[in-house]
Order: sequence, then C-alpha cells, then structure tokens
Amino acid sequence: MTRAGRLARRAVLPILAVVSALLLGAVVIILTDFENLARFGTDPLGAVGAAIGGVATGYGSMLEGAFGDPSRIAAAIQSGAEKDIATAIRPLTETLVAAGPLIFTGLGVAISFRTGMFNIGGEGQMIVGALGATTTVIALAGNAPAGVILVAGVVVGTIGGGLWGFVPGFLKARTGAHEVITTIMLNYVAAQVVLFALRSEFLQAPGLGAPISKVLTPIADVPLIIDLPAIRLDYSFVVALVMAGLVSLLLFRTTKGFELRAAGFNLTAARYAGMSAGGSMMLAMFLAGALAGMGGSFMVIGTVGQLTNDLSLGIGFNAIALALLAGLRPGGVVLAALLFGALTTGGKNMGIVSGIPYDLLFFVQALVIMFVAAPGLVRAIYRLRAPKADAEVVA
Amino acid sequence: MRLELRDITKRFPGVLANDSISISADRGEVLGMLGENGAGKTTLMNILSGLYRPDAGEILIDGQQRDFHDPAEAIRAGVGMVHQHFMLVPVFDVVEAVALGSETASGPLGRFDRAAARRRIVELSEQYGLNVDPDAKIETLPVGVRQRVEILKALYRHSDILVLDEPSAVLTPLETAELYGIIRSLTKTGTTVIFITHKLNEVLEVADRVVVLRRGRVAGTAVPAETTRQALANMMVGRDVELIVPKGPADPGDVVLSLRDLMVRDDRLEMAVDGLDLEVRAGEIVAVAGVQGNGQTELVEAIVGLRGIDAGEMSIGGERIVRASPRHIADLGVAHIPEDRGRDGLIIQMTVAENYILDTYHRQPYSGLGILDPAAVATGAEQGVRDFDIRTPSIETTASSLSGGNQQKVVVAREFSRPVRLVVAAQPTRGLDVGSIEYIHRRIVEQRDAGAAILIISTELDEVLAVGDRIAVMFEGRIVGILEGETATYENLGLLMGGAEFGGVAA
Amino acid sequence: MTVASAATHAEGLAARRALRAARIRAIAFAAIGLLCFSAASSTLETAALFRFWVDRQGGASEKLETTVGVLWIVAGIAAGLVGALQFVRGAAFPWRRWLLVLLLPFVAAILAALLDGKAANLTGVLDGTLELAAPITLGALAGILSERSGMLNIALEGKMLMGACVAAITGSVALNATGDPLVGIVVGISAAMLSGALLGLLLGWLGIRHRVDQIIAGTVINIGAVGITNFLFLRILGRDTTLNTPPTIEPMRLPLLAEVPVLGPIFFTSKPYVYVAIALVLFLTYMIYRTRWGLRLRASGEKPAAAGTVGVNVLAIRYRALMYAGVLAGLAGSYLSLSSAGSFQMGMSAGRGFIALAAMIFGAWHPIGAFGAALVFGFADASQALLSILGVQVPPQLLNSVPYIVTIVVVAGVVGRVRGPAAAGQPYEQG
Repeated sequence: MTRAGRLARRAVLPILAVVSALLLGAVVIILTDFENLARFGTDPLGAVGAAIGGVATGYGSMLEGAFGDPSRIAAAIQSGAEKDIATAIRPLTETLVAAGPLIFTGLGVAISFRTGMFNIGGEGQMIVGALGATTTVIALAGNAPAGVILVAGVVVGTIGGGLWGFVPGFLKARTGAHEVITTIMLNYVAAQVVLFALRSEFLQAPGLGAPISKVLTPIADVPLIIDLPAIRLDYSFVVALVMAGLVSLLLFRTTKGFELRAAGFNLTAARYAGMSAGGSMMLAMFLAGALAGMGGSFMVIGTVGQLTNDLSLGIGFNAIALALLAGLRPGGVVLAALLFGALTTGGKNMGIVSGIPYDLLFFVQALVIMFVAAPGLVRAIYRLRAPKADAEVVA
Repeated sequence: MRLELRDITKRFPGVLANDSISISADRGEVLGMLGENGAGKTTLMNILSGLYRPDAGEILIDGQQRDFHDPAEAIRAGVGMVHQHFMLVPVFDVVEAVALGSETASGPLGRFDRAAARRRIVELSEQYGLNVDPDAKIETLPVGVRQRVEILKALYRHSDILVLDEPSAVLTPLETAELYGIIRSLTKTGTTVIFITHKLNEVLEVADRVVVLRRGRVAGTAVPAETTRQALANMMVGRDVELIVPKGPADPGDVVLSLRDLMVRDDRLEMAVDGLDLEVRAGEIVAVAGVQGNGQTELVEAIVGLRGIDAGEMSIGGERIVRASPRHIADLGVAHIPEDRGRDGLIIQMTVAENYILDTYHRQPYSGLGILDPAAVATGAEQGVRDFDIRTPSIETTASSLSGGNQQKVVVAREFSRPVRLVVAAQPTRGLDVGSIEYIHRRIVEQRDAGAAILIISTELDEVLAVGDRIAVMFEGRIVGILEGETATYENLGLLMGGAEFGGVAA
Repeated sequence: MTVASAATHAEGLAARRALRAARIRAIAFAAIGLLCFSAASSTLETAALFRFWVDRQGGASEKLETTVGVLWIVAGIAAGLVGALQFVRGAAFPWRRWLLVLLLPFVAAILAALLDGKAANLTGVLDGTLELAAPITLGALAGILSERSGMLNIALEGKMLMGACVAAITGSVALNATGDPLVGIVVGISAAMLSGALLGLLLGWLGIRHRVDQIIAGTVINIGAVGITNFLFLRILGRDTTLNTPPTIEPMRLPLLAEVPVLGPIFFTSKPYVYVAIALVLFLTYMIYRTRWGLRLRASGEKPAAAGTVGVNVLAIRYRALMYAGVLAGLAGSYLSLSSAGSFQMGMSAGRGFIALAAMIFGAWHPIGAFGAALVFGFADASQALLSILGVQVPPQLLNSVPYIVTIVVVAGVVGRVRGPAAAGQPYEQG
C-alpha cells in the first residue's frame, strides 16, 4: 500500500469519530429545544424542519465562526480595503490562534502518553507557565528591551510549567503515586495559586478588584504575522509548528525518545535493557509540562495580553482528546489541533449567534475520545470491517 | 466415573490445537498425558473442565454426553481441575479460597457459613492426608501446600475426575513423592486422575496408562510397565531425539564471575539468596539446577544489576561490584537472557530492529550525541537476522508477530552481538520447540568455546544435564552441591534439589 | 531444613521486619508527643474557649474553657499512649484506627492555637464535618465497590455532577407538577441514582466489552458530564429557572436522640444523607466481608482467574458493582444540589469525586476507614468557614487547596503504603 493510502486508512477512524460525535451533539441540540419539541404534536413536519434547521444554523454558524465566509474573503481581497480583509479573514486567523496553545499542550500530552503517563494536568501546567511568564514580564518592565523581556518570559514560563509537570512524574517514579490523581489535584491547586497571586499588588490590575493581571502588551508582545486591525495571529503559531517538528525528531530519532517510547510500551523490559524507567517518566512529565507552559506563556504575552484565572480553561481536556485523535503522532497533533481550534472558535460563534452554548463541545469532545478509544464502537455503527491482522505468526 | 473424550477438535486463530482427539479413562485409573509444550494437552483439559467449548467432538461421562458451557457446569458434573498456575486468591485464607464459588450461604443477605466450610475442609484434609491448616493465608503457604489446597478445592466439590496440569513443575522430588502418594489414595476411593506432564519419568512412575499427544493429535498410547523413556520420547517428538547436546570438553580459564556469601532480599523483604558461593570460569558452562522459588530469580537480578545486594561479595572479571546499574553491568561485558522473554526480554510492540538495539542504542555505531543513526541500526539488525537465522519478513516487523523460538533468537542475537565475557541465561529454552532448543544450546556452547563464562539457571533437569560442564544445585538461597557434568544423574541431583546435603541424609 | 520449616523461617524474617517498622512508628508517635509537650509549655496561658449549642442554634450554649497548653498536653499524652501501645503490641497493632483517635486532641490543639484566645462555637463545625463528609463517604463507597471488583473508577466526579444536575431538574419538575416537596425529593434522588447507574454501566461497557483503558473511559465520562451539565445549565436552566428550584432537604431531627444536650445538635440533627451514609458504611462492611457476594466480589478484584475457573461470573460481578457504585455516586451528587446549595450550579462537584478516591485509598479500601478519612476531609472543609468568620488570617486559597494537597500526600503513600485490590484495572478474559 502506498504511503498516501496508509495515511488515508489511518484517517478514516478519526474522521468518523468526529463526524459521529457531531451527529450526537446535533441530537442533543434537537432534544433540548423544548419549544420545538412541543410543536411536534401539532405540526410534526414543521417541527422536524425546524429541528434540522436549528442544527444547521448552529453548525453553520460554527463553520462560519471557524473559517469565515469564502465569498466575503474573496471580495475583500479584491477590494483591497484593509478593514474588510481583516474582518473577512478574522475567523480563519482566530482558528489558528486557538489552535496554537492546543498544539503546544497536545504535543505535551502526546509525549507523556507515549511514555505511559496519563497526564491530565495540561490545564494546570499551562496556567502555571502563564503565571511565570506574567511575573517575569512585569518584574522586568523597563529594565530590558522588549525582545529580551519576551524571551525571558517565555523561558521562565516554560520552566515553570515543566516543574509543575515534573512533580507528578517524580512522585510516580519514587512513590508510585498514580499520575491521574496527582495531575488532576495539581490542576485544582494551580487554580488556587493563580487566584492567590492575582490578588497581590505586584500582579493585579489596579482598580478592578478582579483576578486579572496588569496588561502586558505595552511591556512585551509577540510579533504579529499579519498586521491588520483585530487580527491576533502571531508568530507563536510558527513556534508551535516548529515544536511539533522537534518533538517528532525527539521521539523517533533520538536515544532519549527511544527510551521514552520503550518505557511507554513495557517498563520492565526497558529496565532490563538498562534504561532508567523513573528517569524516563520524570523527563516525559517535565517536557509535557514545559510544552504546556510554553503555550501558556505565548498565550498570555501575545494573544490575550494579560493573565486571567480562566486562561487555560478547557484547553487541557481538549489537548487530551486531540492527542488521542491524532494517535499520539506529532503531525497528527497539529492537524487535530487545527480541527479543535476550528471547533472552539466556531463554537464560540455558535454560542453568540444561535444561542447554543459552547459547552456542548466538551460533550462532543468526550464522545470523540470515546469513539477513538473504542474503535469497535465506530466499526459497529458503520459496519466496517476490522483491518487485516498483522502477518501470520512466523514459524 | 468412566470418562471418554471422542474426536475433540479445537481451533484457535492460526493454530489447530486439538485435532480429533479421542481418549478414555476408567474409574480409579491414573492416566498420564504426555507431550511437549504446545502439543495441545492443556487445551484439551481446558475443554474438559469447561473453560473452552470444543469446535467438534463429545465428552461422555458414564456414557452420558455432556456439554459444558462454563466451568461451573463441569464442576457440577464432577470434573475438578488443578491448574499449573494456581488459581488461589493470595489474600484469602484456605477456607475462603477453597469455598469460593461453592459457598454455603444462609439468610437473606447470603451470609457465608464459614464454620461449616471449615469443618468440611478439615474432614477432607484428614481423610486424604493433605495436612492443610485451614486458617492460613494463601500467600504465606509454600508452593507444595498450595497445590494441596487446589486439590482440596476439587475434593470439596465432590470431584470424581481430577485433572492435574503439570503438578510437579513446582515441587521438589520429595514433595513430588508425597503427591504420588496422595494420587494413589485418591484412586483407591474411585477417583479418576488425569495428569498432564512433559516429564517422562513421572509418567512412568505413577500412571496406569499413558497417552502421548503431538501437534494436537494422539501420537500413541502405552502402558508404563511395557515401554521405555526413549520410546515415549520418540512418540512425543516424532523422531529420534538427541537428549544430549554435542559438545567437547570444557577448557576453563580465569574466574569471571565470583560470588561469595551473597545475600539478596526478595520483594517481600525476605532473604531469597542466603549465603551463596559460586564461581564461573571463562570457557565453562555452569548450570544451576533447582526448583522454582529457591532464589534463582533474585540471584539473576542481583548479578545483572536489577536488584541490590544486601551482603556478601560479587566480582565480575576481578572487579568488585557493589551497587551497579544494569547498564554498567552490561558495559562490563555481561549478556543477560531473561526468564520471561515476552515480558522482560523484548518489547513486543517494537520492531525487530528496535529490539535488536534495545540495550546498545546509546552506543556507537547506533547513535552519536544522542541522535540515532537509522542506517547503522538497519545494518546491524540485518546482520543479526542473518547470523542467527531469525525467520522474519523484515527487520521492521513487529516482534509480536514472531514465533516464540524466533523471539528468543532476537534476544540471543542482541546479547551475543557484542563482545561478551559472561552470559547469564535464565530458563533460556522455556516454552520452545525442540528445534529452537537445540539451536539455542548450540549457540551457547559456541560462546563457551569462544571463551565466555556461561551461567545457566534452569528448572529443567534435562537441559541442565545436557548442557552443563559443572552442575550446581540451588536450594533455599544457597548452593548445596556442585557436581561434574559427567557424574551428575537425575537421582543425585534430585536429592540435592530436595535439600539433602550431598553424601548426607535428607534433613 | 524441610520445606515446611523453610516457610516459617521466611515468615520469621518478614515478621521481624514488620516489628522493626512498628517500633519506628512507635518512636515517631513518641516524638510527636514530645513536640506537643513543648508546644504546651509556651501556651499554658493562652485561653482556649470552645462553645457548643445545647439544643439549638442561638439558644443556650455550653462552654468548654481551657487553655491551649492543656490541649497540647492532652494531645501529647494521646500520642504517647498510642506510641506505647504500638511498641507493646508490635506489628499487629491497627495503628491507622488509633491515628484517628490521636487526631482529635491534636486538631483541637491546632484549632485553639490558630484562634489564639478567641471564642469559637464548634457545634456548627462538627455538624458541618459530618455533613460535608457524607457525599465524600458515598463517593468513597462507590470507589470501593468498583475497585474491589477489579474496575478502576475515576468517573465518580462526572457521576456526581450528573447526579446533581439530574436531581435538580427532575426534582424541580416534580415539585412544579405536584406541589409536594416530598415527591420532588423522591423523584430527584431516584433520578440521580438512575443516571449514576446508567453511567456506571457505560463505564463497564467501555472498559469490559470494548477494552478501553479504564482511566480513559473514566475521563470520557468526566469530560462528557461537564459538557452536558454546563450545556443544560446554560441552555435550559439559565432561561427557565423553574427547572432549577428543586425542593431542599432539611435536616432531620432524630427523635429522642436529638434532645441529648450538646451532642444532640451535633450528631442527631443532620441532613438524612449523613445517616444514610453511616448506615451504608456498616451495611457494606457486612456485605463485603461476611457474605457470599462479598467473597466473590473480593476474589474478582484480587485474582479474577481464581473466581472464573470455579464458575463465578466475574464480568457480571463487575458490571453490577459499577452499577451500584454509580447509584451511590448519583446519590452523592443529589446531596450537592438538593441539600447543600438548593439548586444546580455549573461544576458544583468541585473535585469531590477525586477527593472521594483519596478517602478510599487513605481508608485502605475499607468502608469504615474511608468514612474516617472522609471525616478528616470534611473537617478541613468545615473549619475553613469558621476560621474566615473569625477573621483568622489564613488566605482562603490556602485552605481551599488543603483537600487537594492532602490527596496528593495520601496517594504518594506518605501516610503509609496500602495495597489495593491486586487485579484492579486489568481486563479479564472470560471463556
């Protein structure tokens, strides 16, 4: 089978998973539209039409929120007016903006899952990184050129996130503490830590009395790729793509990557072969936290511009779903992150335009994970045949 | 009960485990079922005990056809199976472990009547001379006693047909003799006993009749009084079997591995290796015999660096080892063939090539500065495949697709692909077909002749006698005797394995 | 040495090891006792004033007036006593149970030290401890049932959340339809338990039938529950608040017992969930350790092959255990919306599902132990409110973090390693 053919084969299951999940989401939308359901008794056809129409509007607004309207984009480019172009391509750039942090965190999840560590702590690791970056930027304000401040902020944030990931890794290696529980607990602790920090005079934005930090943009900012009004796409997206490439090299071309993958497959055999199982665990968790922290740093300095306590909300779980969808492959992570970025951005638009709450997408996400983790389900639903078994036992 | 299995057939994906097998056994008869690993004995007995359903054929008990849908039905029909790997819950005590699944319960909430169960167990234990303490926790019981608990389980359920799967695999010769006594007292009360084994001696010792299985079919039957070990072996394998490995005399050189008064703890913090002395020289094979559970696993782990030494001295090539990592030990020129190749020796989800470099990936030429060199890896792996005749479609094949013998060859290829001073091999031919066993033994002898010191740990007396230049016996964490290969026999090895001091009286 | 004596020889070694560990523990307890005494020496003058309502809030109150120093001395004596017992009784000493006994004076001393002379009414805190411990206990029992059958259940959080949401909605509907709060309560609780049961079966189906990794399956349910409940809240409950005003469950006064002075208001006027939780703890202890069902349950979690080969239907036991666990988790969830807050709020489970798992581990997978652990967590939660009212300068975020940090500490085995059911998390092939 050709390389393209194999890629296509691999994509079937994830695509079907997403489609099925969206379909079920549609069912939920229909079933919770009570006014419409009430109509069913009196005007069944109209009710069905309205139901489908409701889903169409909902998902349609999601598509438009994610990608924009192609005809509008073409027209705007033709006209050449900056403002029109900006408005037209904004949905698309917002999708990429949303995808960026997902790529970072998703790569982290991929590394940790491949090493056998169920890292559910992306959210906490990300926001700790963001906190580190924020603190660094505010502390260095006026004492260094903006470029240096930016780099310093990202470095501190990356290390901070790395440490937040390292702790559960260390506990697992030394005490056997289950990383699912420790990473989730650290998520909650991180939220409290950030809340606490955002009440300090040093960090808090003056006058608001809310858990928001001072604005970082005047001090340091990430350069934009497209400099148009209201467009937020900056070079952190490029950095994310670069990181995907580096992670791929790490996993498949380096000795450390070999050790991580071996530990993920079979910890005992890895030990027997002389590898340090605990070391691999700790390294994987540190890298995962570092990547999430890097994403958080770029997000807080560049995209959002200030630290809020809900900065990383939902991104951690999204990252898990998309990493599983991508089969834990760095390239797949990028694609899946783009998809989820589209869902997120589109979902927000769906919430605004058609009143369908964005949280439905969490539910869709959960279904996606379920379908990807239980391929038998999808196959049963669509009557697919299982792939031919590996070559017969060679005698 | 008269038991008859007629034309039993069972297929698994890719393998025909039982091919139209017919056997029978009478009341009070002891039937021995002989065969190599993979001949289909356990599958057949699993069908009899209700774990599997046959694809074709019938089970007849006292002339009545029975169709067992699950083990509970087989148990109700009087079939009791004692598995090779004991099916006892470690944290339960004997009463709970035996009564599980057949508990007498009372009251609306199903209160378990422990006292009644205990009474019956004590009764049965006395009746058959099983000598089991009903209140002891299973995990504290030694292996021989656990087997008797398994037998109690079957008797508790009024089994008339008792199936024993490799019962003596974990027993010392002394315990095995006790087991034979128990079997005989069982048959006196009319119980039919079927036992599965691959040991020729056993079958000749205790069975009334022998059935030999080979590759899923009945290869022949015999009556022990009228046959010989050689004849049975030939039926088992289908051709004249060489029970000896061709090797020249050893030419031992300097001491490579030296162990003095070694003490190693196991996971339960008990002293598994308890004052062990042993020396292995270059150019000789020292085979350590002993029943599983006498500290062999911990000894191997200590030598290769997977387990810390509590006390005593260990030296490799004259260098004293105190606290070394597996990698350091490997760098000293030690090759390790682990006991459980699927779990510890290979990563079966990885490719043959990746497994080939599993413990050398961090060195030249396979990597430099932390970056792997795929071309070098491929070259090395292909060389290994050629040198060791590994049957695989390619080096990129996943290791799980390989047969047991080829998997072990990958491990051996990997270990022998670098210059080696000491080879530590634990159960190197467990579960392999005869052809692979011969091959592995041949390569090991080659290494010996090239000057390596070889330490083989094995529970198979056949292997130990065939391959060892010197044979040591390990019992309760110590070496209790060392014999020259030529003078060792089943008898004197058996005595040592059972704890007797050589030349002395059994304790 | 014969085989038999070899076994006892090995046992002897293990026993000696355990004895040494026990001795070290005894010394540790003694050291804690000494620390208490030294703390006492500096606080002999500081007043410690604890009040307890005699029969109801705002009525007469009983005072317990002493000094902080005295409390430290009591704690020190308790520590010494436990240490002595540990030393004398050796390895067989059930030190975890006695640890809870020691905890009482110790915590009282710390509380008094923090209060630094201010008076504090403890009835509310103690009553609150029981109440807050109830949902965690129920959750821990659910976890125990699942894990003892061999299934890892980290979906407790999601089941609780769903239970809370379902109870609120159905309770409101029933209340609006019939105007009878009791009907609303019954309907709400039943619906919550049913939703929990269904989610439990879903977890079983994914983990057993489809061999999805049990952690992933649990995470799926957790994320899905958050999504669906948030969605429902925003889409329906936000718009139509009549669907989110379920009847609230009032505290129950146990006849006669509630009249007992001081103890009455603490122990015998709680919300019914407390009594239900305690009853379930006792019931499940009996069921797990004394009945046939319990024996088979434990076998399924320790060595399913042993059960399967004697004809026990391990998979059925696991499915049923997950279903019962779901029922309990749903019940715990209904507490949150019907009893505690009076309506459903987004994300109101706030990690309690995971704290319940910690209680389970801390309690060594035993219902009574889990209840004890839940009391500890409940106390931490309840005293937070007290401290902030009294103006004790502890940042709320720190107190909020305590349950999570304690969970990490417990899971890391700092308070002693416990072993869970050996086969938990491993799929079982039947036939």
